[in-house]
Amino acid sequence: MGRDKYPRQSLGALHSQIKQARVLLIGAGGIGCELLKNLVLTGFGEIHIIDLDTIDLSNLNRQFLFRQEHIKKPKALVAKEVASKFNPSCTLTAHHANIKDTQLFPLSFFRSFTLVFNALDNLDARRHVNKMCLAADVPLIESGTTGFNGQVQVIKKGKTACYDCTEKEVPKTYPVCTIRSTPSQPIHCIVWAKSYLLPELFGVGEDEETSDQLDTSEDADNAEEIRNLKAEAQALKKIRESMGNDDFAKQVFNKVFRDDIDRLRGMEDMWKSRTRPTSLNYEALQSEASSSTDATISPSDQNTWTLLENFAIFKSSLHALSMRLKQNAGIAIAATEATNPAAVRPVITFDKDDPDTLDFVTSASNLRSHIFSIPLQSKFTVKQMAGNIIPAIATTNAMTAGLCVMQAFKVLRGDYFRAKMLFLENSGARALNSEPPRPPNPECAVCGIATGQVDVDPERATLNDLVDGVLKSELGYGEEMTIMNEVGPIYDPDMEDMLPKTFRELGLRDETFLTVIDDDEENPRVNLQLAVSSKRKLPAGSRPVVLAPTTAAMEDGRPEEAGQQRGTLEIARKPKKATSDRPEEMVEGNGVTVVIANGAANGTGTGKGKGKVKRSADEAGLDGADTLKRKLAADDDGTGSGAAGDASVVTNDSTKSNGDVDGDALGFDRAQAIMLDDAAAGDGSIVIDDD
Amino acid sequence: MTATATTPPLIQAPTAKEKKYDRQLRLWAASGQQALEDSHVLLVIASNGDDGSGSSVAGVETLKNLVLPSIGNFTIADSAKVTEADLGINFFLRSQSLGQSRAEECKQLLEELNPDVQGHAITTPLSDLLKDPSRLRPYNLIILCAPLPQEQRRIICEYAQQYSVCLIHIQSAGFYSSFSIQLPSVFPIVDTHPDPDSIQDLRLLSPWPELLAEVKALDDLDKLEDHDHGHVPYALILLYYLEKWKQNNEGKAPDTFKDKTQFRDMVRAAARTDNAEGGEENFDEAAAAVLKTVAPFSIKSGCREMFEKDSCKVINEDSASFWIIAAAIKTFYETHGVLPLPGSLPDMKAKSADYIKLQNIYKSKARKDVAEVSQSVRSMEKKFSRKDVIPDGEIEAFCKNAAHVKVLEGSLLPQLRIEKGDIQTRKTMLNELQNTETLLPILLAFENGSRSQLDDMIANNGKIDFEALNNQFAEVDRVGGRELHNISSVTGGMVAQEAIKIITRQYVPVNNTCIFDGIGGTTLVLKL
Repeated sequence: MGRDKYPRQSLGALHSQIKQARVLLIGAGGIGCELLKNLVLTGFGEIHIIDLDTIDLSNLNRQFLFRQEHIKKPKALVAKEVASKFNPSCTLTAHHANIKDTQLFPLSFFRSFTLVFNALDNLDARRHVNKMCLAADVPLIESGTTGFNGQVQVIKKGKTACYDCTEKEVPKTYPVCTIRSTPSQPIHCIVWAKSYLLPELFGVGEDEETSDQLDTSEDADNAEEIRNLKAEAQALKKIRESMGNDDFAKQVFNKVFRDDIDRLRGMEDMWKSRTRPTSLNYEALQSEASSSTDATISPSDQNTWTLLENFAIFKSSLHALSMRLKQNAGIAIAATEATNPAAVRPVITFDKDDPDTLDFVTSASNLRSHIFSIPLQSKFTVKQMAGNIIPAIATTNAMTAGLCVMQAFKVLRGDYFRAKMLFLENSGARALNSEPPRPPNPECAVCGIATGQVDVDPERATLNDLVDGVLKSELGYGEEMTIMNEVGPIYDPDMEDMLPKTFRELGLRDETFLTVIDDDEENPRVNLQLAVSSKRKLPAGSRPVVLAPTTAAMEDGRPEEAGQQRGTLEIARKPKKATSDRPEEMVEGNGVTVVIANGAANGTGTGKGKGKVKRSADEAGLDGADTLKRKLAADDDGTGSGAAGDASVVTNDSTKSNGDVDGDALGFDRAQAIMLDDAAAGDGSIVIDDD
Repeated sequence: MTATATTPPLIQAPTAKEKKYDRQLRLWAASGQQALEDSHVLLVIASNGDDGSGSSVAGVETLKNLVLPSIGNFTIADSAKVTEADLGINFFLRSQSLGQSRAEECKQLLEELNPDVQGHAITTPLSDLLKDPSRLRPYNLIILCAPLPQEQRRIICEYAQQYSVCLIHIQSAGFYSSFSIQLPSVFPIVDTHPDPDSIQDLRLLSPWPELLAEVKALDDLDKLEDHDHGHVPYALILLYYLEKWKQNNEGKAPDTFKDKTQFRDMVRAAARTDNAEGGEENFDEAAAAVLKTVAPFSIKSGCREMFEKDSCKVINEDSASFWIIAAAIKTFYETHGVLPLPGSLPDMKAKSADYIKLQNIYKSKARKDVAEVSQSVRSMEKKFSRKDVIPDGEIEAFCKNAAHVKVLEGSLLPQLRIEKGDIQTRKTMLNELQNTETLLPILLAFENGSRSQLDDMIANNGKIDFEALNNQFAEVDRVGGRELHNISSVTGGMVAQEAIKIITRQYVPVNNTCIFDGIGGTTLVLKL
């Protein structure tokens, strides 16, 4: 008897399996803290924790493993330290690193785990882990939360849908330091312009918390940087006072595009693995500025403006907004209905349909992108990239993490069929929805592919050794094929000059991936993803590119035989294009009549069928498809039945009702809505969330 | 261009606290946060010796999820000492806790989570504490960790019912858990957070004079310039064609689905297509909105039920503010056949100035409606010489949410009703047991006493799936009250979420029982 008395009793035979399991937890934030606590107290034998971030004051109110004294310390290390006290028999290892670093975390690293848990906060890393786990054939438990909603999904190669089997929406909130200090994508600069610069100059001016996309409560690199950023904002506020002066644009420009950037440049730690930004100078640009006016630039929204064009638009939109703010001051006071006079202050907020704010955000974000060597975007694209802040609470994280562990039990038993896709939802009617795991999407670009590994000698191996020696002669590929590396195509029949290049020359080092696309017109193979490995020494004189044996064979393999070992690959053909866009059963399966093993959850405990219809509908809504809910609400109101839209009493069973013309017709509409919805958002998608 | 106000909503700068709790304030706003910070939650854990962990982990995990978002105070009443098995499943204990008071140790570690929260521990045996039930007075939410001795549970539940204190009864063992909520007999919620899209209420079939005047001002749509024609807000387009429709249909608005489809076609046909886009966005919006907005006003069940309550019909000097406003809104409804107008206008394609004008027409009407309700509230206050004046903001919020207000009716904890042999509760359960996928046996298995009580009823019922029933019974027996951390953690999340809804009086809490099966990954919500 002792510590593990209770789990042993509940888990029975599974308990010893859990003790022997070696699991990887990626992310030590909101869900990660909860998961680590659960894993330790469930008795998992060996846990590795990876997190890139350090602890910030703002994490403490829900990332409960961290305390005041841990601020600035790496999350992974502190989480390990704190959690290890709670189960001395559990081995914990922490990595303060980026999971996307393939040198630190190559395929073999992933292969060494029984199970991987994703507790991440961004799409990029999720996709990467999904890909690695598929390639390593290690089961992955993926999770995410937004506000009251949470999702858990089990991903296992060939058995369930993978993370990328359904299309994902772009994440919508960003850690403040990513936005203010270390942008790496166009969206980061757009959010900066929209949610920081615009509000600072024309908004309430207090700080970015009032904005939609900036998440100041998360992931700050450290408190010091936050302080610096606060000082920056203060300085900008000073400049704001000179709005209307002739040199206002110059002051703003030199502040945010020169001085602030120069300060960032000096932060050595920040640029170890990132490209250092280069500041811009107002005077220099002004002297180069051409005579082209913004009147001709602004309407060309499909083209990406040049640096100078962006500079021109930045000045003109800043001017237009300044003038408007001055004008509005009088109107706002007259028109306001606010009872609090202190609140009266004219502001301009971002509106994608307000040309001045859009021009301002487009030009300012592009100038910043230029500084950080990020691709510039057209006004058209900038307009598309808008969103809302995502709330995060402890309760949802707790539920989600607990459910992840439950799924882990099933995975350890190999019981994938009984693993569930789980959806948490805030409603009086039910707390949790579940459905069976979905099968892999045969057209998925990530898991609907064949995977293999080539062992190469990078010095000797040429692309031709791969194309002729392996793909054509061993795997039976024809002439028509395209080979891509992680950036773009490196070979197709029109790029013959590439064939003699060696792997080294092509930058195809150990732990990179190649994708072979079969361009055969008749019956093409699915895409083949090849992991390039140079770990195995190929004997001199042997062929420099060989297909590696399967994982299992390789693990059993003895090094001395390695040179002779050669794998084979079965590569399936691409599925024929479906005749209709969406097969009938899909509508049912995802929308209306699917049986969700969830009991009668409509508050009365009797109207089962009805509950299911409503539940499926809401579930689809959870997946980011507000259009559906809107549509349902619309239909409900349209029937005039009076009780529609009531959360806990499901009275509208119109998909099944007969004899009522309205009901039938609307029922049809409803099914359509669900279907469209599925097609658009792809349910099962785990969107951005608390890390 | 889609119009929005040139004068955006005026936002006040956030305070430090607003920043700290920013992410949750977006879910329950400052009023909800204040309610949380004013609350004092009592967690009661029985001392079960070696007989399982007594759902203590589920209880403590619940507290964790309430301390993080900052409830004001919590108290743990638990006379047990920490055992080694406790250390293996309870995160809020450490090795040094062994042999110490479980209440004290958990309290201390929970307090560390948030310096804004005050924790307290009561270590005297529950039976002593309950000798004077008035000691339960400081708490506005009581959470019981089952199993508790029957008599003690009864005293606490009856006390809570008598003083309208909310209570949650949790049980967690092995892969199963359940919680039941005992709400006061009347639990009104104004801020139910309906789907934002369902709040839109354009009143196209019951327009008021100012709105009609705006339609009249359009004169003849066909004579408008192309640019103007393409920027008439869709609400006005619909009102305009509704008038036309009525002229051709004996003054009646489209009623049946067929009518509405025809009306939609009529609107669609009126769009100008001889332009580059081959149509007009505002007319597309209008056509798309027909089914949703061309409908007579109807009042939702929650509101109707509220009007039918005696507390709403009979107002006296003891009536709560809620019921005084409800009665005033009822009077409004009886006078006008509609509820006060919420006053918000959805986004629509229009010229900014036109949109703002229309927005103001809706806003003014909403204000007028609030004024009318306020007037009848004030006259009731006067009539019953009430000392406390109901704040304007409360009346305004009620009017805005009137269509979605809900009054839940709580009753004594179902477990207690089973114990007392309540016929209606038994009937409900018997019905539920006939559902093949029911999880109710889990709850019954948790309630040792009720098992034998139900035996004879169940035995004579051919519709019940005994195998499933027995399996769930057997699983509960097998684990013998031992908690599994992750199941208790999920449960603690669910219970805390409901606790937050109850404390903030926002969103609609589970009424009254939720059963969780970790193996199946399913929940069952029942009104027992």
